[in-house]
Amino acid sequence: MKKFLILLMAFIMLLSLSACSNGEQPTNPSEISNEKTELTMGYQTDPEGLDPQRTAAASTFVVTNNIYDTLIGVTQGWEITPRLAEKWDISEDGMEVTFKIREDVFFQNGRQLKSSDVEFSFNRLKDEESPKARDYANIKKIEIIDDYNIKFVTEKLDVELLKNFAYPWAAIVPEEEVANLKTKPVGTGAFELKEWVPQQHIILERNENYYGIKPKLETVKLELIPDATSLMAGLQVGDLDIIPLTGDQVKTLKDNTDYSILAQPMNAVQIMSLNTDNKILSNEKVRQAMSMAINKDEIIEASSFGYGDKIGSHLPTTSPDYYDTNDVMEYNPERAKELLKEAGYENGFDIKLTLPKNYQIHVDAGQVIADQLSKIGIRVNIELVEWGTWVSEVYSGKKFEMTVVGHTGRLDSYAFLSRYKSDSEDYISLKTGEVDELLNKALQELDGDKRKDIYKQIQIVLASKLPAIYVQTPYTMLGMQNNVKGMNIFPIDIYDFKDVYFE
Amino acid sequence: MLNYLINRIKGAVIVLFLVSIITFMVLMILPGDPAQLILGTEATPDMVKDLHVSMGLDKPYYMQYGSWLIDFLRFDMGESYLYGESVSLLILNCLPVTLSIALFSMIIATLVAFIFGVLSSVKKDSFIDYFSRSIMQLGTAIPSFWIGMVFVVFFGLRLKWFPISGYVPASENFIKFLKSITLPSVVLAIGEFGLLLRIVRSSMQESISQDYMEMARVKGLSLISIYFKYALRGAMVAPLTIIGMQFAKLVGGTTVVETVFALPGLGRLVLTAVEHRDIVLLQGLVMFITTFVILITLVVDILIMFINPRIKTFERGE
Repeated sequence: MKKFLILLMAFIMLLSLSACSNGEQPTNPSEISNEKTELTMGYQTDPEGLDPQRTAAASTFVVTNNIYDTLIGVTQGWEITPRLAEKWDISEDGMEVTFKIREDVFFQNGRQLKSSDVEFSFNRLKDEESPKARDYANIKKIEIIDDYNIKFVTEKLDVELLKNFAYPWAAIVPEEEVANLKTKPVGTGAFELKEWVPQQHIILERNENYYGIKPKLETVKLELIPDATSLMAGLQVGDLDIIPLTGDQVKTLKDNTDYSILAQPMNAVQIMSLNTDNKILSNEKVRQAMSMAINKDEIIEASSFGYGDKIGSHLPTTSPDYYDTNDVMEYNPERAKELLKEAGYENGFDIKLTLPKNYQIHVDAGQVIADQLSKIGIRVNIELVEWGTWVSEVYSGKKFEMTVVGHTGRLDSYAFLSRYKSDSEDYISLKTGEVDELLNKALQELDGDKRKDIYKQIQIVLASKLPAIYVQTPYTMLGMQNNVKGMNIFPIDIYDFKDVYFE
Repeated sequence: MLNYLINRIKGAVIVLFLVSIITFMVLMILPGDPAQLILGTEATPDMVKDLHVSMGLDKPYYMQYGSWLIDFLRFDMGESYLYGESVSLLILNCLPVTLSIALFSMIIATLVAFIFGVLSSVKKDSFIDYFSRSIMQLGTAIPSFWIGMVFVVFFGLRLKWFPISGYVPASENFIKFLKSITLPSVVLAIGEFGLLLRIVRSSMQESISQDYMEMARVKGLSLISIYFKYALRGAMVAPLTIIGMQFAKLVGGTTVVETVFALPGLGRLVLTAVEHRDIVLLQGLVMFITTFVILITLVVDILIMFINPRIKTFERGE
């Protein structure tokens, strides 16, 4: 027993000694030199497999966008750029699009990419196991012209068709590898997967046969750290080069010159959806009263520390079709009380607010809203549910009264807004049908300016009919060591490590 | 002995079977299913139905359970919906992490509990007794996520003695491995040693008050020999049982600490499986952890038998 104790004590002392000595070591000099080519980024949610056509999870797309390519890409400024396709032609009637594919593209297994792979990938995207099948149902025929030319024919006119080819799930995959793409992705992208240890890390390695300009980074290591404080500590100690930030952390880092911050409005909206099947909420005046009782600036300050743009309708401030509707239902608690009285709820009412607890930003916003509504007599009972329950009960089951959630990541306004069609069966569809005709018109309008005007009208209708109360466009925020350059934020949920480098 | 073992195994099989049914039922009752989660906020009822068919979720519950059970009996735990990886491989990846921190923290907790427990029972109502009684309460009262955060910030960020987060396998670099598990193990140990200390202290007190201790003193044996060789031996049974239970608990329940220190262990895998309604993965994990707990209790029972031959546990089974 004694010997055992002594041994253990010695062991513990040794351990603490080695810990001390290592702590005093100077930072590795290679980390300061210009030649650093290994990037380490912290992330919080594991991907749901690395097959982009078998999930709807953003956590998958941020990674797979670097491994696979799409026919076309999108810039930070929402412009379409060539990617696998050098150029494309849209027929005059807008029903057909023909892509000319690059002739120098090879999959990471060594085989050349041809039109047949594009055909295969889109058929796979349209099959029953694909979560995005609905978005591509309008493509009725895919015609291979030759090895490098391919034509897509649509059933109905869809003026936003081209944008559907830029999403990360429209990736081109090799047929011979599809059985294992979830764990062994094979694409044509600038990086290939070296290792994925679930719950731990993902290592991407530069693809030496990449057809485009070679990335400066040799490896990108994504390290899974679920806790925000630990992420921040990792950045401060220098273990991590890039981390996602929360609003309060931005405030801490802002004045420190060792770090740079990337904070940009996301292509997303945070809304409080109202169930118009509920007797009280079906009353338009009640919804308007609620909207006027809600101070959005206060919510943004409390839930995102000021990093958010308030909105009045269902398009994000970043969208080219965005129209400012904030003045339609301005914050006015006095008028809100009057409206509530007119609606016959002078003494207020009880209502349930369901919040997805995995999303702190929505939970925080919901709590502020509950407090604000209590001031005009509406007693809000908050119910926290986890995401799985939210999806099935609130979203699919429509068993809710009010909820706060985000809608995100679409390039065309139609995809954002189509859920409001009275027959969409969506959880927040506008059942009175005021936007049905406008939405149908928008999809058929070839003239860009006229289309923009239609979207403006839809936004104004939503802002006063309020099937949901529109809160804010939240920000994407990344904290980086100040020698990291070239990291950008895109209107779709992706990271692109191709242009990232160390200065 | 053999009969005893056979009886234990029989019991274990029944427990495993019941646990698997309960897990399955709980996940069926919980709202939300994997197909809906995969489709997310893009889903239409038709799409959910189609995906149900291709994932085999449209079959009745008992058939789903039956086919899982048949695979399990063939030692095939299936493939996770979420990761597309085999469940046994996922568990095997996470096991070393959880096992190392559970083991290391139990070593720390045991050491602290025995040193202070023995001292405070020998010197009852002295300074050391009060001291150990107060740290005992402190350890139980402080929430582990909070002390974890404090450790990360102080030892990781300030002093830079230990890495902030992450896990380094022992095979890669042993010193780094030890450093990566030290902080989480200490945090876990802080939560566990209080109970153990209390048990050691009371068992020791009882043991010291036995007649044979008087005999040992009269015989003129050294104090260390009296307390550590004779008194402690008699006082081992209860603490050992507790150590076994605590260790078993840690193997399945280190989720919070794993999250704070970003350790890829079993606890977080369980959490992920539940959040994504990955029933195949969850069943595999629950089966594994249950088996583990059963084994630990068996080992503890056998150990106690060797330490204190007066207790012949196995005879009860005959």
